[in-house]
Amino acid sequence: MDVLLQILVNGLSVGAVYALFALGYTLVFSVLGVINFAHGALFTLGAYLTYLGVGGAVGSNGALAGWALPLALPFPVALLLAGVGCAGANLLVEAVAFRPLRRRHAEPLLYLITSLGAGVVLVNLLQIAFGAEGYALPADALGDLPPMLTLAGARLRSVQLLLLLVCAAVMTVLTLWLERSRGGRALQAVSEDATTARLLGIDSDAMVRLSFALSGLLAGLSGGLVGLSVSIAGPYFGIVYGLKGLGVLVLGGLGSVPGALLGGLVVGLAEAAVPGDLSGLKDAVAFAFLFAILLLRPQGLLGRAPITKV
Amino acid sequence: MSPSPPLLQVQGLSVRYGSVLALDGLDLEVQAGELVALLGANGAGKSTTLRAISRLVPASAGGLFWGGRPLLPLRTEQTVKLGISHCPEGRRVLSRQTVAVNLELGAWLRHDRAGVSEDLDRCYTLFPRLAERRRQLAGNLSGGEQQMLAIARSLMARPTLLLLDEPSLGLAPRLVEEVMGTLADLHRSGLTLLLVEQNAEAALAIADRGLVLEAGRVVLRGSAADLRRDSGLRASYLGS
Repeated sequence: MDVLLQILVNGLSVGAVYALFALGYTLVFSVLGVINFAHGALFTLGAYLTYLGVGGAVGSNGALAGWALPLALPFPVALLLAGVGCAGANLLVEAVAFRPLRRRHAEPLLYLITSLGAGVVLVNLLQIAFGAEGYALPADALGDLPPMLTLAGARLRSVQLLLLLVCAAVMTVLTLWLERSRGGRALQAVSEDATTARLLGIDSDAMVRLSFALSGLLAGLSGGLVGLSVSIAGPYFGIVYGLKGLGVLVLGGLGSVPGALLGGLVVGLAEAAVPGDLSGLKDAVAFAFLFAILLLRPQGLLGRAPITKV
Repeated sequence: MSPSPPLLQVQGLSVRYGSVLALDGLDLEVQAGELVALLGANGAGKSTTLRAISRLVPASAGGLFWGGRPLLPLRTEQTVKLGISHCPEGRRVLSRQTVAVNLELGAWLRHDRAGVSEDLDRCYTLFPRLAERRRQLAGNLSGGEQQMLAIARSLMARPTLLLLDEPSLGLAPRLVEEVMGTLADLHRSGLTLLLVEQNAEAALAIADRGLVLEAGRVVLRGSAADLRRDSGLRASYLGS
């Protein structure tokens, strides 16, 4: 029983990050119908910005060697600022890699190349600035919180609990905003039928920018949280998360918000169920699981079956 | 010469889709309070005219003026703000949203809450079926109900000019009559309408004036009464 509970706790906290990740993809996908492959790089940027925000210094290999902010912000503030920074960076990605193509009504496949390119540039800039080494956020970033908690027999790191809470809060707010607010409904209108949305007076370009900003915010937040939870393994550490986030996206159903959530939790739990001495197989298990589910449900868990338009 | 410029003036407007000239030098004026019918067969350029007015498609030549002010530099959202509401062909309701949300999104650019809720009530009075189904997803409505929703949604912008693209398409004769009756009521209440229709008879029955398009050009224009009497029109352009 305790083992099951432990798997559940571990799985949920990892899965929450995947869900947040997939949600970022989903926001852009639902409005533009394309995937922003720079998303993983923004996640990485979020982790580095959070590291800088809490007062971390750049290591000896980076162009900014030895540089640090003159002040150390509390972790929540640093995380939030990193999220905002990533929202800004994603707006830049939109302006450089997406908008020129949209103006020309380009093939959706071309966005794959331009956004991937933007991601590679971003990761390389990070490598130039910070070097290729790993960084760990200070263990005392969470202040007085004890590092470990015990919850009904399951051992839980405070970071994991924080991850879970932040992800749950962000997703609740985002879902409520999408479903209940005027702006959220307008975003959904653009997602369903951009031309009609324009005829109602909705500025679809502004909605596209909004979705990129929100998506960047989610990437930055999840990057900072994972940076704290498992440390930053170098400028490329977002790639695995990016791929897994894509898997989660497909698993949950492209463009479905609850699907992104469910997909994230399913993949997280599948990974957590891998015994500790086989932990090298975690990714293989996650992707095998994904593969198996997609064989049964090609449209994803909560995706709409493809509809042929008439 | 009229003392004030017409509400909408289209001057020598051409629209090109690749190598196809969809609209070839169209001239058209709509005075405030008029109901003008734009008739013609499939592919004659009727929808393209509306899409050009609401700036969904670029013009390759000519001019578009709104009370004398050029429309061509504007974006679609800005034409809505000016008072042009375009009810597109095929209804295009937001199928995953409720009837009520569809109507609220029709008032997206308005910030007068009291006026919006007043107009919402008016729409529900005009279309009681929509009031009954306000909590249902628009995608679950019948074709006729969707058409009513699309018209009501366009009215929620409180437009000066309503552009309607084939509102009778795919509706049973009884419903066509109902929709046309509603448009006639709106016309009587002072709204200006530009109505694109293949169903010439139904459109001319409520219009003040009509134009017949063929291959992107106006081939006939006149008062609705004259056009209704014109047997040549019926034979050559309206297929009846």
